[in-house]
Amino acid sequence: MTITDQVTRTFDGLASRIDATGLRSVGFTSALLGEGVSTIALGTALALAAQRHDTLLLIDANWIQPSLSADADLESAPGLADYLASKADLATVIRSAPRSRPAFLPVGDRSAARPTLRSLAALLANDVVPFQTVLVDLPPILGGEHFVLPWATLLDQLFVVLREGATPLPLAREALAKISLATSPYVVLNRTTAPSPELAMSRLAPRTSRL
Amino acid sequence: MSPAYGARMQRGLATARRYRWLLLAILALVWGAGLWAAYDEYANTYEAQATIWVLRASPELAATNLDDPSVPVIQTVAAQQVELLNQLLQSKSFVRDVVGRTSLSSTLEASPNDTKVLDDVRERFRIRTLGTSMLRVSFTASEPRLAVEMVESALAVRLERVTQARLAATAAVSTLYRREFEVAQAQALDAQRQLDQFNATHKPPLSVADEHVQAQLRLALDFAQVRLSDLKGRADRAIVATAVLEMSGIEFQVVDEPRLEMFPSGGARPAAILAIVAIAAGSALAVLMIVVATLLANHVAGPADVGRLAPAKLFATVPRVVTPRGLAEQDLRTSLALIAFGNGNAGNAKERE
Repeated sequence: MTITDQVTRTFDGLASRIDATGLRSVGFTSALLGEGVSTIALGTALALAAQRHDTLLLIDANWIQPSLSADADLESAPGLADYLASKADLATVIRSAPRSRPAFLPVGDRSAARPTLRSLAALLANDVVPFQTVLVDLPPILGGEHFVLPWATLLDQLFVVLREGATPLPLAREALAKISLATSPYVVLNRTTAPSPELAMSRLAPRTSRL
Repeated sequence: MSPAYGARMQRGLATARRYRWLLLAILALVWGAGLWAAYDEYANTYEAQATIWVLRASPELAATNLDDPSVPVIQTVAAQQVELLNQLLQSKSFVRDVVGRTSLSSTLEASPNDTKVLDDVRERFRIRTLGTSMLRVSFTASEPRLAVEMVESALAVRLERVTQARLAATAAVSTLYRREFEVAQAQALDAQRQLDQFNATHKPPLSVADEHVQAQLRLALDFAQVRLSDLKGRADRAIVATAVLEMSGIEFQVVDEPRLEMFPSGGARPAAILAIVAIAAGSALAVLMIVVATLLANHVAGPADVGRLAPAKLFATVPRVVTPRGLAEQDLRTSLALIAFGNGNAGNAKERE
């Protein structure tokens, strides 16, 4: 197995579960920085794109540390923030990709605008409709709550990423408590060493897409 | 197994996995040190043994029933001698005498705490019965020659002390008999003098009363002489017994002299104890560390811990990626960025994560 296969297969489990539940728009956040949220968002996007063979959009909505935009060398390129500030057209700021890869919307000029419920609702309801699946990389809840909560009410599901053996429980509880006001969060446990136990898939009923 | 117990076990196992290298290091340290000490004890312990055959029981060594002194305690001859030796070993002067005749004497003299040295020597002695009439005296030391010296010295000092004690007892008896003989001799002389005095003052023919008195005096003289003769015999026998004791030793015969052992012996048991204690201590320490770390752990240790975050539920787990051997070190994020964005700046992904 090549390292490419290995890295993409790492997220097959998560991607399969998202696919099985029929979720169309999901977000990834965490309690703290450094939990691997952006990596999971990127990996899951790649795996889902391969599984669903649909158009998939990966959005870098991390106003605190837009690492995906840096990976794509689009830190200074116009993106989501410019669109929310009505300074750019969405079609021009989305970076398209081959069918097996996700399209990418970088964060753009973060000083131009901040995500609001109304603007994001319009984005998800109208502008990203051509994409069957939308994945959003969000900043940590603790410290970035106002960047996360608007998305929480709009996305089909928000996943809180915790790192096994590292995320302090009190902080995890605090972050989940903040999110619980807007949605019922589910947890993705990152960097596990044991095989996955029977998870809460049966409890997660497919939700009607808000797109 | 209850779910709560299962969850606790999972957390414990997760903690053990998390600190596995530290636990392995501690186990290696404790077990290694213990096993090395055990090997050192086994390889550097030499035991010298003497097997002794005891011929007859000594009445003076008979034990008494503490509840009823009139009821004798039945003991084998070997048990008597074992008890005697064990009692002698409790005496500091005995152990000091034993050590003083060996190559360890200089160490004892130079030691600031001779009690410690004597206690150590005492603990290394082992005296046990092999049967009703046979016992064994052994000593373990780090030098084979010292072990032999100790056993020989202990038996020699024991013999001296027992002989001295008997000689003292016999001498006391002799003195008693001598005193009684002197008294009896004076009584006999007095009786003789009274008879002579009567004969001098009462010439024949004697009256009936005088004859009766004379007979009485003669009888008293005869009794005194008989007693004198008896006491003389006893005193003579006591002197002979003393001489016999000085030459005796047949009742306590060493049938197997202690030999110089060239190979380690006698250290297997203490070595095994050391090893078992080290293994048990290391294991207990590791378990204790796991328990304490689990109790103090305040982070998400595994999927089981997500239950503590209710009402949030676990949706999926993303496994830790292990880089295959032989391939260049390339982190997960860099690889993903290359696949997704396919540009050279993906190499900076690790810094930004």
